[in-house]
Parts: sequence; structure tokens; C-alpha cells
Amino acid sequence: MRRLRSWKLLLPLAALVAVGSVSVSGSLAASSQASEVRVAIMTDCKGAFAFGYELDIGGAQAAFAQYAGGKPKNRKKPSAGMTGIRVGNTPVNIVGYGCGDDTAPTAIKETRRLMEQLRADVMVGPLSGDEAVAVANYAKGKPTKTFIIGTAGSQDPTMQIAPKNMFRYHGDGAQWNAGLGEIVYKRLGWRRAAIIMDDYSFGWTSGAGIIADFCAIGGQITKRVFPPLNTTDYAPYIRQLPRPGTVDGYFWVVGGTGTGASLKAFEQAYGRLDPKQHAGNLFFAFLGADKEVAPKVVGAYVGGFGTAPGLKTKQARAYEAVIKKWYPDLPAADGFVHNYYNAAWALVLGLQKSGGRVGAALQAAMPRALKGGYEVSDNGQIRLDSRRQAIQDQYPLQIVKQGNSIVTQVVGYVPNVDQSFGGLFKPSSPPPGRAQPKCVKKKLPWQGKIKVVRNGVITNQTIR
Amino acid sequence: MSSLALDPKVAVERVVGVGVLVLLAAGPAVFNDYWISTILTQTLFFGIAASSLVFLYAYGGMISLAQTALMGISAYLLGNMVTQRVPGGETKGLTLGWDPTLALVLAIVITTLIGLVFGAVASRSLGIYFLMLTLTYAVIANYFFGQVTQFGGFSPIAGINQYTPGFVGDLIDHPDKLYYIALGTALCVYVVTRYLARTPFGLSLQGIRDDPVRMTSLGYTVPLHRTLAFGYAAFVASLAGILLVWWDGQIAPGNIGIGATIELLVMCVIGGLARIEGAWLGAFAFIVINNYVRDVELPVVGGSFNTIIGLIFLVIVLVSPDGLMGIWDRLWGAIRRGGGGGRPEPAAVGASTAREAGSS
Amino acid sequence: MFAILYVLVIAEPDDGTGGGWRTTNFGSALDDPGGFLQVLLDALTFAGLLFIVASGFSLIFGLMRVVNMAHGSFYLLAGYIAYEVQQSMTGEGFSIPGSEVNTWEWVFPMIVAAACVALLGLIVQQLLLSWNQGEDLRQALITIAVSVIIADQVIAHFPRTGVFEVGGGNAVSMTWPGWTERFVDLRLWGVQYSLARLVMLALGVVVGILLYLWLYRTKTGMVIRAGVDDRQMTSALGINIQKTFAIAFVVGAALAGVGAVVGSSQGNIASGQDTQWLLNSLIVVIIGGMGSLLGAAAGSLLYALVLTFSASYLPIIGTECCTNYSIVITFALLAIVLAFRPQGLFGRAG
Repeated sequence: MRRLRSWKLLLPLAALVAVGSVSVSGSLAASSQASEVRVAIMTDCKGAFAFGYELDIGGAQAAFAQYAGGKPKNRKKPSAGMTGIRVGNTPVNIVGYGCGDDTAPTAIKETRRLMEQLRADVMVGPLSGDEAVAVANYAKGKPTKTFIIGTAGSQDPTMQIAPKNMFRYHGDGAQWNAGLGEIVYKRLGWRRAAIIMDDYSFGWTSGAGIIADFCAIGGQITKRVFPPLNTTDYAPYIRQLPRPGTVDGYFWVVGGTGTGASLKAFEQAYGRLDPKQHAGNLFFAFLGADKEVAPKVVGAYVGGFGTAPGLKTKQARAYEAVIKKWYPDLPAADGFVHNYYNAAWALVLGLQKSGGRVGAALQAAMPRALKGGYEVSDNGQIRLDSRRQAIQDQYPLQIVKQGNSIVTQVVGYVPNVDQSFGGLFKPSSPPPGRAQPKCVKKKLPWQGKIKVVRNGVITNQTIR
Repeated sequence: MSSLALDPKVAVERVVGVGVLVLLAAGPAVFNDYWISTILTQTLFFGIAASSLVFLYAYGGMISLAQTALMGISAYLLGNMVTQRVPGGETKGLTLGWDPTLALVLAIVITTLIGLVFGAVASRSLGIYFLMLTLTYAVIANYFFGQVTQFGGFSPIAGINQYTPGFVGDLIDHPDKLYYIALGTALCVYVVTRYLARTPFGLSLQGIRDDPVRMTSLGYTVPLHRTLAFGYAAFVASLAGILLVWWDGQIAPGNIGIGATIELLVMCVIGGLARIEGAWLGAFAFIVINNYVRDVELPVVGGSFNTIIGLIFLVIVLVSPDGLMGIWDRLWGAIRRGGGGGRPEPAAVGASTAREAGSS
Repeated sequence: MFAILYVLVIAEPDDGTGGGWRTTNFGSALDDPGGFLQVLLDALTFAGLLFIVASGFSLIFGLMRVVNMAHGSFYLLAGYIAYEVQQSMTGEGFSIPGSEVNTWEWVFPMIVAAACVALLGLIVQQLLLSWNQGEDLRQALITIAVSVIIADQVIAHFPRTGVFEVGGGNAVSMTWPGWTERFVDLRLWGVQYSLARLVMLALGVVVGILLYLWLYRTKTGMVIRAGVDDRQMTSALGINIQKTFAIAFVVGAALAGVGAVVGSSQGNIASGQDTQWLLNSLIVVIIGGMGSLLGAAAGSLLYALVLTFSASYLPIIGTECCTNYSIVITFALLAIVLAFRPQGLFGRAG
């Protein structure tokens, strides 16, 4: 009797083992069969970009709804799920959403869960720079799986690492900032500037775009300051910046959560911000910064996010209508929504061409051009380069006051921005870092060709 | 019950232990790919790291929060030494491109030496002060690798598992192999640690744990014992670090951040700090919970699965101070007393109180 | 010593030539006393903020031996609550210009936020901690579980005006009252310094004085100090130590709330800062020593001084070295302090 009871205690253990062995045997079904396509959406639900969760999922699913018959379960809450996605005769199942916290280890853990446990064939994501670096390295070892980056801005995944099964239908952090340097050089007369940037791969890549653009036209970067992520008090880093008067302006590449805090620290050191002396990357205007940061710097120029809020083209209107149709509350011009939308749309097109097959067939069939919402050049098509990285139009912005609200407005149109900045960045050169790139005068493909955008209409004038 | 006969509890534990071992040895025949390559492999090497923490606590009375950092140090050392800067190769870290076998040995040796230095510095601290000092080590290691870009920087050093020693072979395409290596290592660590506890060194260490003053007056050098124990724990953690980086292929500051440090402690406590076996049990429970509690939403308070994970941990800690191993021990105690219904009821109470705390 | 000498005499301002081992952002204190004073004030004012948050942590720690790992989560929650209250009071939406915030519109959110987390602290203490007194590790783990839950709940529900519907935990910030938005002329080497930062220092000092008066001049305070010294003896004397524990926990949590309001006015509040503030509090207490008011003050000062001065005065050699390593150096110094004084600067041994 005693013995028997003691064996009862083993039941939980036995149950656990059973869970392990029952939970689907083997990965037979996954790769070659055309029976169903398993898709995972990888984003963040913790950490500094947790708010991107619904935006990313919503963007991707809006594309599935529009082009593959998906039905949102809840139009107010994209993560509630989607049913009925079909490409041709092939059902597409969203097997799971990944929950990162913008660090590499968590991204890998989640990616493994999605790709190996839930046996996804394709991943749309991840969200942030270092996550994409980690996932790109993971992708190298999984050639049959396909990865379409969601909205990550680091350069390495499609430049130095560049696995053949990874695609990116939006610019990297450097591309997003194309044109900003030239605009402040010409419009505000900046010649010498300082830059303060987050000390990690997205900060470096985003800053690299500004430095390359500003130096290419003849500007000088006199100082680079690198506050670590999660800095509590920015005052000592602000003190490292040259004092106002010794430079013409400051570029801000401090983001996620540090933007507001670092700008306040500047105010406390040198008084109210003069918008003519400050320019920032997307952290000035997107990702919630429009509410926290933008009101402090009305009038300042800002790098883009691959989107053009308020652009009056048919294609842009149509795209915004699609988002509104499926998820009425999603901000269509937010890069999170737009980039995940394009990624999922590209996947649908790829599956249509591959006849629902995944693996190498899908990778070969992935579109090399995509009619992205805000694209104008090349008949409004984003094109992929040989490393499967988008060549995309970019739109520098300005923060302006419109009535009582503060909005971002497109000021320039920079056509066909490629990842290499006309050969400045190469697979063989080190990725952006504290000292990379150097400040050099150079002819960039778009130099002197940035068109003025007025009230959402691209004019024929170039920025002077 | 006669004292000569084997204690039935020990007998049951042995049977279970052998059973689990047979099951694990059967490996791929029983479990699917994901369980082998992810859940169990992770359980094994996090269990190794956790066992170094449990060893220090159970035999030395020291709670070290530096074990995750030491794990990361060996992983970073290996990563810096083996990766190569070739086209399509790695871009982060020193990319020395050394021989993988040499690098493996160096990574373990250097980590152990660092552990000895850490241990020597901390050997005079006790209790909560020891915990604090080791936490400081963890934070230093995290910031060091995060800020000193020459050794890695904030982005991961990747592709490390391409460069394995010849006798290990290709691990990327053969996750089973890594699983068996991890299993073998875990087994060795378990056996050696148990053996160490019965050596004169282990016995005097336990004496120091219970009464350092008396042991000092008996002529034992307390700090030396503590330092050596810490060195051994660092060695064990370094093995876990090597396995981590062979498994993951990459290492980043996030692997050794304060979050990861706390996670390892949570594993140990779930399993039970009093017994070495608890380390693997805790790691297993932690990983399974984290992996499978998804897509569940709490009706009233909202929030994601993280809330649920928090609640589960809360319940475990509330129900049993000694973790799952403690529950086992107490269940056994209840049975032995003959009171059949040895099931602890406070679980339900714990859950409801936790929910209140979470929602307010 | 060398560090002090370096700051005082050796350092040279950056002349833009790439620098050498004597090149820093500022001249030496003798050549550039104004710069030195500014950096010193940066450190002191930051220490004020650190002290407010960490003193609450230290109080709980010292009396109850509870390492309250949820302290950072209390901070996070309070910051968001205060933000929401301030938003609804001014009716402004988003980032409010300082000129539209009066003192009451800053103080009232602080009271609400501090009261909310104090209540939460009381619930946690009464339900989860009061019955397992003395099990240090278990209590720490209970608070870890609580912090995981709070952090996730904050992301689910704050801010109320998110990017998309409610939640997300993105960065928002409180606004200091308008009158702090100016510079004070210190009449010393022509230094003008931000009043808001000086207010932050003043608040730290006020909190310190109030805590001192409470701990050293009232009966409750005396009981708490007696409890820190000898828990068993105090309760053996017939004093209701449980009630004292509850009070201390409530005050400690409330201080996290007050600190959060100051911190989110100074910088901002965002998901993820809970871990950072837990770490900040731990460090201050590790340096200063546990359960001592003086220790918390000394710990805040030393931490802020080292962090600020190393970021400002480390030599500049190219773009790679060395100010980027200020945080590594800060913690290395910390380890040295601990190696020689394991109990912290003002802690009692054993």
C-alpha cells in the first residue's frame, strides 16, 4: 500500500514527460509539403518597444487581410488573431507571436520557440536592431526557413551577415536618415555639428546615416558622444557635447526611452531648445515621441522612418485606406505598421508565385520589387538589391504646429536610397560603430537631387 | 524501520533518478526534436550553472549572484578567441581565430582563475553582503562586455558554434550531439559535486558553513576554503557557458544582465536550494513554464503571459520555501507519518492573494 | 588621490586634435573652475534623486532584511500614475509646457502616486511578507514575482494615451512646475545653473531631514531603529514589531513613489526603467551600507560623483576611449570599496 502511494507521486513527472513526447512527433510536415504555410510574427512585448506589439501585428495582418482573405478576430486588438488566410489553395496559419524585449538573447529564445516548437516556415520580424543581428546569425543555420525582417534598423543583417534566406523590404537606420544632413546644411547653414547617439547597433547605424549624409556635402562632425542604453541621468553626457555657439547644431540619435530625458538634460544645461540648432532621427517624431518629445522641438528637422505622413499620392492614399479598413485605429504612417505590412505583403506575393511552397522555392519567388505605400520612384516600387535589402525612397521630416496639434510634415523627397550610400558602406567594411563611418566629403547618389515637398506634394524644385 | 535497510525515500529517489536518466539517455527516441534541441539541452546547461549556485549555498552557505556572469565570461572568452574576421565572418569582438580546442581550454581555465580572484575578494564577506558583492561582479561583467566594444559591445558576438573542436564536431546540424554532450557534462558535474561534498574539503566546507568561528579556531583557513569553493563553482559555471554558446551560437550582454542573473536564482529556488538535484529540476520547470504559458489572457486584469508566469512563481515560492524538492521532501514526510492526504492546500490561497496584489 | 589630482590640475580641454591622455572635456578644476562646479552640481543634484529612491529601499532592507526586488516596479507604477494625474489636471495632453503647470499640479500627482504605491506596498507586505518574516531569500523571491507581475501590468495599462489604444509602456514624462524652468546665477565663476536640478537636490535634502526627524525624534522611529539593531529583543520588549514593519514598508514604497515623480519630471518614465532603478537602489545601498540613513546618503553621493565625474573627466583618446567606459570604472570602484569594507561605508559588520 505504501509503495503504491509513493508511486503516485511520480504522476506529475510522468505527465511532464508525456507532454514532451506527445507534443507532435517530428518536423516531417514542415518544409516540402504544400498543405499549409506556417507563419510566425516576431515583435516585442517587453522592454522599451513593448508598445510596438499591436502595431507590428496589426500591420502584418492588415496585409494578410487585404491580399489573402484573412479575417481579424478583433479590429481593436490585432493580437487577438486572424483566421481564414489563404494564398491560392494553400491555407496560411499564423502559429504564434514572438515576444522580445529588444535584446538579442530573448529574440533568439523566441525565434527558436516560433521556428522549432511551433514549426513556422516563415518569420515576419523582428522589431529592433540587435534582435535582427541575432536572428540573421540564427537564420544562417536554418536555410529552409525564410525570414522577412519586420522593422529593424541595424545594417549588419543585410550587409555583413546577409544570409540568403533573409529579406528586408524597408531601409536600415542609416537609409532612413538620408537627406537630413544635406537639408540642415543647406536650409540652416550648419557646417560644424556634434552628434549624440545610443551606444548600440541601431544607434550607430542611424547615426552613420546622418554622419555620412552631412559629411558628404561638406559638413564637419566635431564630436561624437555615446551615452549607454538605460542611462538614468544624461547630464554628464550632455556636458561632453560642445557648448552652443561652438557648433552650429546637434544631431540626436538617442532613443527609445532616452530621447525626452536627454533633451531635458540639454535644456537644463543650456536653456530652451532652439529648433534651428537641433535635428534628430526618427525618435523625435515616431514611436510615441510625437507626444513626448516633438512639442519641445517644433520646427526641427527629423530623419524619416521610410514613410511619408500626409503624402498626397494615390498609392499612399490607397495604402492608408487599407490599414483603416482592417484596423481603424492603427497609425498607417508609422514605420512599425508600414514596414510589417510590406513584409507580410511581400510574403503573400512570394507564396502566390511559389504556389504555396516554402523553403528554397519561396526564397526564389520572393518579390524583388514591391509597390510600397509611400514609394514614388521606379513606378512606385521598392526594389531589393543583391543582398535582398530594400532600395527605398526616403522622406526627411519637419515638426510643425498645425492649429493646436503638433504634427510631422514631409519636407523632402530623397529618391532611391540604397544601403551602401553609393559605395560608402560595403560588406567588407566594418559595420557602423563608434568611429565608423569616418567623416568624409563624398558624392552621394542623391546629393543635390532632394526634391522639396510642400503640403504633401512632391515639387520639381530641389532643396537649396 | 531498520537503519540497515535502505531508506524507502532514497530508494524511490534512486529509482526515479535512474528512470529519468534512462529516459534522457534514450533522448531522441522518446522526445521530439524541439524538446531535445531546446527544452532539454537548455535544461541541462542551465541546470549545470544552477548547480554551481546550489553547491555554494548547500555546502558553503553562500548565495552567489555571479554564476550567470561567470557563465557569460567563459562564453565571451570562447567567442573572442575562436571567431574569425573573414568575408561573411564575424564583425564583433576580437575575432582572434585561434584553434577551438586551445580556446576551449583557455576559456575554462581563465574563467576559473577569474572565479578564484572573485572568490578571494569575496571570501571575507558573509550572508547578504556576499550576495551583494557577487551581484556587483555580475553588473561589472555585464557593463564591461556591453561597453568595451573590442570584446563584443552591445550586439552579440555570433557564429561561435561554427568553430568547435574536432572531437566535438558539427553541432549546428546535429543538435542531438550537443544534447548528449550536455547530458554527459551534467552527469559528470553532478557526480563530481556529490563526491566533492564527501571529501575532507567538502566536509570542512560544510563545517565552515555551519560555524565559521569554530572552524577557524580548529585551525582551518576559512577564506581559503571559501575561495576554492568559489573557484570550483566558477569552473562549473564556465562549462555551462561553453554549452550555452555552442547551443545559441552567440553571446550578448543580455545573456548576463540583471534579468538573466535573477532568472538563474529563480531556477535554483524553484528547484530547491538545499539539494543539487534541485538545480536541474528548477531549470526544467522554469524553461517549461516560460515556453508553454502563452496565449493565455487573464480575464479581468489583462496583461500578457508574463503576469501568469509571475503568478506561477509566486505560488511556488509561497507554497514551498525549499522549492519543488522541498515539496517532495514534505510530501514524503506526510506519507511517512501515515496521513495519506499529504497534498498541500495553500496553493489555492496563494493564487488568489497573488491576483489581488497584481490587480491593485 | 591621482583621480583628484587629475581633475584638479592635469586635465586639459579638448582642442579638437584627437587628444591624448591629458585631454578631457573640461579643463582642470584650477583652469576651468566653472566647468568643475557645473559637473559637481550635476553629481550632487543627481545624488538627491538617487537618495529619495534608495532611502526607501534601504529603510525596508535595514529593518526587515527584505531585499525588496519590487522597489523598481513601485517606482515605475508611481511614475505612470503621477503622469496620468498631472495630465488630467492640466487637461493638456501629451507633453505639457512648464509654464502651464503650477506647484499644486505637480505636488498633487505626487501625493496620489505615493499613496497608491504605499497602499500597494501595504498589501504586498501584509499578504505576502508578514507571515514569513526572517526567510530572507524567500521574501526576496516573492518580491521578484511581484515585480514581474507589476511590470507586465504596467505595460498592459499605461500610459492611458498610448500610441495605439491603451498601454504599451512607452516613454512619457511629468513636467516640473513652471517656476523651476530657469537658471540661477550662482555668482561664482559666472556659472548659471538649472533651478529644476537644484530643486531636485533640495527635495533630496528635505526627504533626508524628514526621515532623520522621524527616525530619531519620534517614538515610531525609535522602535524602527531598535528593530534594525535587534529584532528579537525589540519584540521581546512587548513592542508590536509587525505594525512597525508595516509602517516601514509603507514609507519605503511611498518614497519610491516620490522618487518616481521627481525622476520622471527630471527625465521620463518608461517600461524597462524598473530594472534600472532597482539596480540604482541596490548599488546605493551596497556602497553606503544597509539600513543606515547616513549610508544611503553617502552611497548616493559617491555613486553620483563617480559616475558623473568619470563621464566628464576621463581622458579622450580618439573616439573609442575612454569616457565610454565611465560606467565600467564606476563599478570597478564599487567592487574595490566592497572588498575592503564588505558591509558598505556606514554599515555595521556582521
